[in-house]
Amino acid sequence: MTKARRIKDGIANAFTYLASSMTLIILVAIFAFVVIRGKGSLSLEMLTNNYWSKNYLVEWAGGDSGSFTRPEHLDETVVFSSKYGIGFSDEISHEKKRLIRVSYIAEDSIFNASTNATKGEGYGEVFTINVGDQIEKIEAVNETGTIVSMGTIFSDQAESLVMKMDTTSHLSSLYFKTPGGGIWGSLIATIQLIFISLLFALPLGIFAAIYLTEIARPNKFNQFIERCIEMLAGVPSIVFGLMGIVVLYPITAFFNVNGLSILLGGLTMAVVLLPVIIRSVQESLLVVPRDYRSASLSLGASQTQTIFKVILPSALPGILSAILLAVSRIIGESAALIYTMGTFINDAPRITQGGTTLAVHIWTVMSHEQPNFELASAISIIILILVLILNVSVKLFSKRLDRKLGI
Amino acid sequence: MNTQWSQSYQKRKKIIDVIFRSLFKLAGIVAASMIIFIFIFIFQKGISVFLPSYGPDQVNFWEFMTGFLWRSDQKIYGVLFIVINTIVTAFLAMLIAFPISVLTALFIVKIAPKPLDKIFITVIELLAAIPSVVYGVFASGIIVGWVDNVAQLFGYSTFGGRSMLAVVILLAIMVIPTMTSLSIVAIKAVKPELELGSLALGASKTQTNFKVVLTSAKSGIFAGLILGLARAFGEATAVSMVAGNKPMGPTWNPFDITRTLTSTMLSGLKETTGVDYDIRFSVGIVLMITILISNLVIHRIKKKVGAEGQ
Repeated sequence: MTKARRIKDGIANAFTYLASSMTLIILVAIFAFVVIRGKGSLSLEMLTNNYWSKNYLVEWAGGDSGSFTRPEHLDETVVFSSKYGIGFSDEISHEKKRLIRVSYIAEDSIFNASTNATKGEGYGEVFTINVGDQIEKIEAVNETGTIVSMGTIFSDQAESLVMKMDTTSHLSSLYFKTPGGGIWGSLIATIQLIFISLLFALPLGIFAAIYLTEIARPNKFNQFIERCIEMLAGVPSIVFGLMGIVVLYPITAFFNVNGLSILLGGLTMAVVLLPVIIRSVQESLLVVPRDYRSASLSLGASQTQTIFKVILPSALPGILSAILLAVSRIIGESAALIYTMGTFINDAPRITQGGTTLAVHIWTVMSHEQPNFELASAISIIILILVLILNVSVKLFSKRLDRKLGI
Repeated sequence: MNTQWSQSYQKRKKIIDVIFRSLFKLAGIVAASMIIFIFIFIFQKGISVFLPSYGPDQVNFWEFMTGFLWRSDQKIYGVLFIVINTIVTAFLAMLIAFPISVLTALFIVKIAPKPLDKIFITVIELLAAIPSVVYGVFASGIIVGWVDNVAQLFGYSTFGGRSMLAVVILLAIMVIPTMTSLSIVAIKAVKPELELGSLALGASKTQTNFKVVLTSAKSGIFAGLILGLARAFGEATAVSMVAGNKPMGPTWNPFDITRTLTSTMLSGLKETTGVDYDIRFSVGIVLMITILISNLVIHRIKKKVGAEGQ
């Protein structure tokens, strides 16, 4: 090899190293960004809280003060009111707003015995504030009978709030907000969507795969069917969203479900998943040895019996990995669902109503005037973890299948 | 008695067989007919806004196809500049992503030392598994920042980094896993005899890799290019987070905001009726036709390039 050749080869090889390290950098950058921005907001509370915070007004008939001792396990930063038996702490929300959160309530504190003064459902019933709620405004009366107002609205902090509270003789009303910014509703909607999509896509996909590999003779008609399914795999997901609106909307409307709904989203996702499921089930059917079929048929079993009792059980790992792939696709899908499920974040999703999945939740909070990067990144972490677990298990399944068949 | 039972059992078995066979066939037909439904119904709905039966809001088909202005608030819809923007951004993204993908694939299959290739295959698989909306968050958190800095170097001010360049970089990143994994398959499929022949003729290993292996894997690599391009055209949520939706165009300045077909379809999805909503279906048709035509063009190129090699 000449020297010039060697240098040229070295440069060419260096380019391949450069290109592949670029992909590595991209991957690391995405993960690092999401984790760094999102880890602050990620918590169990975020998972279980509602997204929309609710406003409540409660009143006391006689909100008399008592005397409480500060419990020892309480954190240093919590400011405790020994007169009313409640602890507050200062916090900064992910929208960078200062707020006062309730972090402790004594057992016989009057905060555990207030009546709901919010108009609407449950008016006049006993309603209490919980740990985690945000204090907006407290009205109290002091010794001389004048009304004292305090709370976040009056730009109080925990410290000054408690100081003001301790000068009063009894409380009259409280306006508070439940903690928001959680993703519980979207989590539930995602699970519902997965359930509905698989309910429709699995039988249809598995049956179609069986037809194409076990029954169909290679003629023009069946080739056409296969071509159609191939083409379906190439359709961009936003077009599936359009399809859901024009083709599937009348079907859900037939079941008296009007407007965008999780049902419509599920039906749409079922169509999106069809090629995914058909292809992987077909692959797993193809590796089932021919001898199994011949043995079953020669023993007098019918083709249906052979398919259900012999072929499908042997193809089970393939079917399972098809399900896992489908679930990971549903979790990551956004464009098709924006059209069919809507972008309104629903805290109590029902199948007949709209809602957002975790991915669409990200899209919604990112398309606000002020994109909420922290929440979006926190949800991204959850989605990434779920999707990666699913993908890894698909790999394990297919490895096991290979080993079982001795390949 | 026994034979009678057996006969009726056999008969029942046959009937069940026929029923299930037709069920399987029905499933196959339903699955296949979805694509036909998509074409027929979306076409029908998309074309409806141009027909006189649509009413007072009817859109002129010719103005739609040749327009350079998209103002949904003034009911002016022109899609030509959006098509140009979409093609330009996708093409530029390919220009970045194609060499990276092919070189990465070559590295993984032929050049990488033993443990490295496994790691990089995993890297590509992980990149492929990341949902597009996460790419969107990354793009609007990081890429727009870079673009903004670069623009300042050139003395431009951007709209917070939302720009054609950001879309191009984002799309390039998003199509890399698709193209790389298909190129890996293509490169792996190259017959070892070809390589051995090249080596026997005195070519170096690297020469063989670049001249023989890549040339023989051309067809598979082009298949990857087609899939990658389709993904670049059809990518919606992530692109719409950084595109900025410029109302007129086409955009030639990489630091200026742009508008693609998909970002148009996703913008202002608050309304659910009216011409502003229905026109999305027309844009959807334009998108599908764009993808179709670009695929045909690449097929043509592939045939030409393939013929040269022989």
